[in-house]
Amino acid sequence: MDRFVQTVIEYAKNISNENLCGQNDCISFRGKRGYMYITRPNVNFADLTENDVEKIDLVNANSNEYKLHAQIYTEREDINAICHVHPKWVAPVAKAGVTIPTVLDDMAQIVGPKCKTAQNTIEDIVKNLKGVNSCLIKDDGCITSGRTMSEAFTCIMVLDKASHCFVSSAVIGKNITIPFIEAKLMQIIYKKKYSKVNQENLAAQEEGEEE
Amino acid sequence: MAWTQEEELKLRQVIKDSGVNLLKKNLVQGTWGNTAVRLDEDHMLVTPTGLDYISLTPEDMPIVQISDPSIWEKGKKPTSERKIHAAVMGARPEINATIHSHPVYCSILASCRIELPVMSKEMEKLVGGSARVGKYGLPGTKPLKKGTVAAMEGRNACFMANHGVFCAGRDMDEAFKIIEIMEQCSYEYIKQKTLEATGQQTYSDELLFDYFVSKYSK
Repeated sequence: MDRFVQTVIEYAKNISNENLCGQNDCISFRGKRGYMYITRPNVNFADLTENDVEKIDLVNANSNEYKLHAQIYTEREDINAICHVHPKWVAPVAKAGVTIPTVLDDMAQIVGPKCKTAQNTIEDIVKNLKGVNSCLIKDDGCITSGRTMSEAFTCIMVLDKASHCFVSSAVIGKNITIPFIEAKLMQIIYKKKYSKVNQENLAAQEEGEEE
Repeated sequence: MAWTQEEELKLRQVIKDSGVNLLKKNLVQGTWGNTAVRLDEDHMLVTPTGLDYISLTPEDMPIVQISDPSIWEKGKKPTSERKIHAAVMGARPEINATIHSHPVYCSILASCRIELPVMSKEMEKLVGGSARVGKYGLPGTKPLKKGTVAAMEGRNACFMANHGVFCAGRDMDEAFKIIEIMEQCSYEYIKQKTLEATGQQTYSDELLFDYFVSKYSK
């Protein structure tokens, strides 16, 4: 099996095992020479097989979901993996259409200082991903992305936890956020210092040799 | 160094198992969190930085000097939070095992910076009173260490503002009981406060969703 397809299947199962799935989830991985490997519509992540992953030319993506992934890869050369998923705690924030402030250190490091909700159009999603690796989509879960599939996957876990914290804190009446400068600093340090080597090693593992 | 090779091997396994147990009990996500266990008055074994708990081996755990945690040997590069583990063990000779993690309900109270009152007799016994919140500091920095040590005074657990929870026990089993009771009591407290805020009698995640959406929708 193609290593790219294997990686997509492996992480779809991880997403399912961590209960981060919802309905109409779709993940993709940038292949070589202008292609992406993407899950077909309405597939079950827990039982994903090779037949559920398509190899799509970025310039010929033909559905809205595929076009969204293709557009993000085209605009953002630094992104190699995209997850459009619908985790439980992201849902109320995406429905309310609000921005998650920096509620936790790990959110600052991995998601960034804040996570906005984009309107459900390709243009607005791409716009809201500018300079960051994730955003919520109004009534439609979230997009996370990364240099590797592992980074995009980790981002879902952290974003779901941050959403849970944000929702609970708001209801019990006390949201204290980390100052923007400190949050930004943590994000930069994490990205440049702590995760660079890991991401390079992971990228080599995830991509392997394309068949 | 005042320990035998046999003791070291046993404690290496204890720390390896502690990471796996954190994952199994849903008290940690991914590679985050770290644990430590005392070897003697001035040495501890800690988990390495950035490695997943399943693939870690007992031999990967570095030995860190408690009085000067910049000094370490054997194993892989230790967690950057080793200074907090060292400061707590250095100040408290009765403490032999420490856990720092980010379980969900503890993280919620840490992000609200709410002191958790005593919620049960078990919490009183294990934690030693309410769980305070240490002052905020960036990960790996002196303010975070100082804030945590101050909040731990006379207690076996505290929250780290916008970060997670720190627990200390006479052994790893006790440290685990403490983190479990902290997570359980945090959940109970959040449930109680949610019912107060919503005016409802029965708690559910859906109640939280609906209340949040109705109050905060744009």
